[in-house]
Amino acid sequence: MELLFFYMFSAGIIGASLLMVTRANVIHAALLLVLTFFFMSGIFILAGAEFLAVVQVLLYAGGIMVLYLFSIMLMNVEVSVRLRQYHRQSFFAVAASLILIFEVWTVLGRGGSYPAFKGFSWQLGATPGNVEALGSVLYTKYLFPFEVASILLLAAMIGAIVLAKRTIDR
Amino acid sequence: MQEFISAFFGDYSVINGYVPLFIFLLVALGFAGGTLIAALIIRPHKPYPEKLAPYECGMPPLMEAHERFSIRFYLLGILFLLFDVEAMFLFPWAVKYDALGLFGFIEMMLFIAILLVGYFYAWRKGALEWA
Amino acid sequence: MVSLTHYLALGAIVFVIGAAGVLMRRNAIIILMSIELMLNSVNITLVGFSRQWGDMTGQVFAIFIITVAAAEAAVGLAILVSLNRDRTALNVDEVNLLKW
Repeated sequence: MELLFFYMFSAGIIGASLLMVTRANVIHAALLLVLTFFFMSGIFILAGAEFLAVVQVLLYAGGIMVLYLFSIMLMNVEVSVRLRQYHRQSFFAVAASLILIFEVWTVLGRGGSYPAFKGFSWQLGATPGNVEALGSVLYTKYLFPFEVASILLLAAMIGAIVLAKRTIDR
Repeated sequence: MQEFISAFFGDYSVINGYVPLFIFLLVALGFAGGTLIAALIIRPHKPYPEKLAPYECGMPPLMEAHERFSIRFYLLGILFLLFDVEAMFLFPWAVKYDALGLFGFIEMMLFIAILLVGYFYAWRKGALEWA
Repeated sequence: MVSLTHYLALGAIVFVIGAAGVLMRRNAIIILMSIELMLNSVNITLVGFSRQWGDMTGQVFAIFIITVAAAEAAVGLAILVSLNRDRTALNVDEVNLLKW
């Protein structure tokens, strides 16, 4: 049953993201990306990462994609829909992607036979208290990356305000 | 009902809590899609130019409905997103607050203080004003 | 039964789709969205490893990646918005002042 759900969510992710990278209309692409994030939160729930699943919906679908839609509304998408959508290097890009997929396929085909890849320490949904476990690791062992994250957010905030204010003043 | 839910994933405790959510999602999607498809089958379809106009008894539209937003919405969106990340960090901290004690309190206050610098910067720069 | 290989394969496929999107498209917003997709595929891999080893570290790093993605979206979109004031369309080919 877990395998069925995993394949269902995976098919959703791959289908929606393939559609996303090929759409000409940016708004359609953004909505398909939201759909991809919803399917990914399903995958996270299956993996027992409940807090991440919630954060995925709340922050990615609810925060980041809203920002994307805002900035799409700021620009004129009607013009860009009529332009040529794909870069000259598309052929090489697809070729490189296929080579990469082939490499990963080979490596995983080999590695999947090792016993280390079989079975999980956590069986399906057997970890109650995901948020507590996360909190006890995040605020003790990863104290320094956590504080650095706040500096990163501060830098992003100041940079974005400077860029956007300069656009307003002009 | 309980037997029906545990038929999905066996006796795993946590994931079974999400099965009702999944069923709810399916019912919601099915209802929305089902009504649309049923309406598509049942309704008569006789279009003519006046009926297809956006306002059937009003003034004809002058321009595209897609209007450019003011960039101030975008600036507020950025601030919302970055403080949303802060809220995401606050939640596990609040859950583990008792175990972390004073150490965790100081740690989180430092985090909030660093972000407050950005908040006051936005305030001083007038990013929050609507003029 | 789902194994670690499933998570790694899914992460790799989504990563490659995102990378192909970055290389192929000319629309700058879709390029940024493809980068978000690539960051998310790394999250899938980290969550898979976290489940494999029974360790929260993978999920903690996934949270940091989400933080980085939020910062990247804020600054990247601010750059695009300020570029868009001068240009009508958003093609990456036209932004070539620093190219040699």
